Amino acid sequence: MKIADIVKTLEGTLVAGGDSDRTVGTVVANDLMSDVLLNDGDDILLLTSLASDQAIRTANIVGAMCVVVHNAKPLPQTMCQVADTLGIPLVSSPLPKYESCVRIHDFLKAEAAG
Amino acid sequence: MDWRPTILSGGESRSDDQIMAAHEPKAAKRVSGPGLTGGDGEPLVIMELLQRLRVKDVMRDHDIISVVRTDTMHFAQNLMKRNHISGVPVLEGKRLFGIVSINDIILALEGGWIGDACQKHMATNLVVLEDDMPLAFAIKYFQNYTFGRFPVLDKNRDLVGIVSQRDVMRVLMRELTNELTKLEGRHAASPEVGPSSKSEAVRPYYSMRQFIVVRNDLSNAGKAANEIKKMLGEAGVEKKIIRRIAVAAYELEINVCIHSLGGTITFILEDRKATVIAKDKGPGIKDVEWALRDGTSTANEWIRSMGFGAGMGLSNSKRVADVFDIHSTVPTGTTVLCEFNLPEKA
Ligand SMILES: Nc1ncnc2c1ncn2[C@@H]1O[C@H](COP(=O)(O)OP(=O)(O)O)[C@@H](O)[C@H]1O
Ligand SMILES: [Mg+2]
Repeated sequence: MKIADIVKTLEGTLVAGGDSDRTVGTVVANDLMSDVLLNDGDDILLLTSLASDQAIRTANIVGAMCVVVHNAKPLPQTMCQVADTLGIPLVSSPLPKYESCVRIHDFLKAEAAG
Repeated sequence: MDWRPTILSGGESRSDDQIMAAHEPKAAKRVSGPGLTGGDGEPLVIMELLQRLRVKDVMRDHDIISVVRTDTMHFAQNLMKRNHISGVPVLEGKRLFGIVSINDIILALEGGWIGDACQKHMATNLVVLEDDMPLAFAIKYFQNYTFGRFPVLDKNRDLVGIVSQRDVMRVLMRELTNELTKLEGRHAASPEVGPSSKSEAVRPYYSMRQFIVVRNDLSNAGKAANEIKKMLGEAGVEKKIIRRIAVAAYELEINVCIHSLGGTITFILEDRKATVIAKDKGPGIKDVEWALRDGTSTANEWIRSMGFGAGMGLSNSKRVADVFDIHSTVPTGTTVLCEFNLPEKA
């Protein structure tokens, strides 16, 4: 699953950070940054409701490949700037986080099944 | 040479906070300036020394000549004359109450109160250093004030030593000589060593950065951790280790930002070790054991709404670090240290 797949599956828009060629390794759905930091997975796709600079900085610390913010929450200008600076793709999705989780799960399952 | 910024005679006994308040904000800002952090990537040996060495490394902590509050000004005068010094601290045990300087003696001689007790005429508005401040602070003090020496207090505000410009110079010269010898040794050795000299080119012998963390400035919180991550990447450190270090730096930085009155994150990168030190200026943690537990937090709703306050920060930092140490005193502040071993480069 790549950035384009995420955008399509979640009916979202890539708003900052630029595209990349990376593939989802681990999916983390969380709004608590310490929980995100606790995760050991690689190539994290971070699904969150947190629309702040810190969501991006946290994502950068764990080397996340993409951050998705839900419910079409307005994204602060600074958040987009941080995403651009750190080169972390930032996607805005109109879906609720739960719906997002289900769709990503289904996608990855189908992908694994080939 | 005088000991203090203003001449304030006949002072009442004062609270310890007043001494500290006299200097802190000003000095703390100065040291963060670009000059002392050594700019990007190329820290100078001397700047590193000034950050690595502490005031306690240069102070004289023996034979502190002092008087007690009930000693007369005359007694102080004789003491100063005999020992060729320009001021004496007024102590009770280790507690610093004031300083009697040459100036006070001159005023006393002129005014006819040389027979009075020191406590009546000593200066009580003092500029002091803390024993674990980086030496850079001390040097700024010598630049900013005209005093030839400063009293040094420890965490408990006890007087533990005196620092003069000469003490600073003496230790600096010695350490610089050591550093230079080391550097020369390295240069001489590198042609024969071959492969290992390559790894030294990737990871500098040792570098240091200090970041100021401002209270409640969440929009900037995390910058230090990201900078540290970048430095480690440039030094060619393994990804998994970078992540552990960055996690600790980030959690500690956030803690200083949301729980303290402000402070610093210091990062030291050595050949085989990386160290993150978070130090703040209060209010300290009442129950450190409680704070270290998973899920315990005093964070308010506002902090939680920003994604913090899960109560995992300290335990996360401890989990990722090879060495973890925390010291906290109410209300002076909290210092947390995380050390990470770095493997020898292949
Ligand atoms: N630098 C600090 N100064 C004062 N209190 C602190 C500091 N760091 C941590 N604490 C206290 O320890 C508690 C636990 O910290 P932590 O494990 O990082 O969790 P959290 O930050 O999510 O609350 C905090 O809620 C706070 O009460
Ligand atoms: Mg915390």
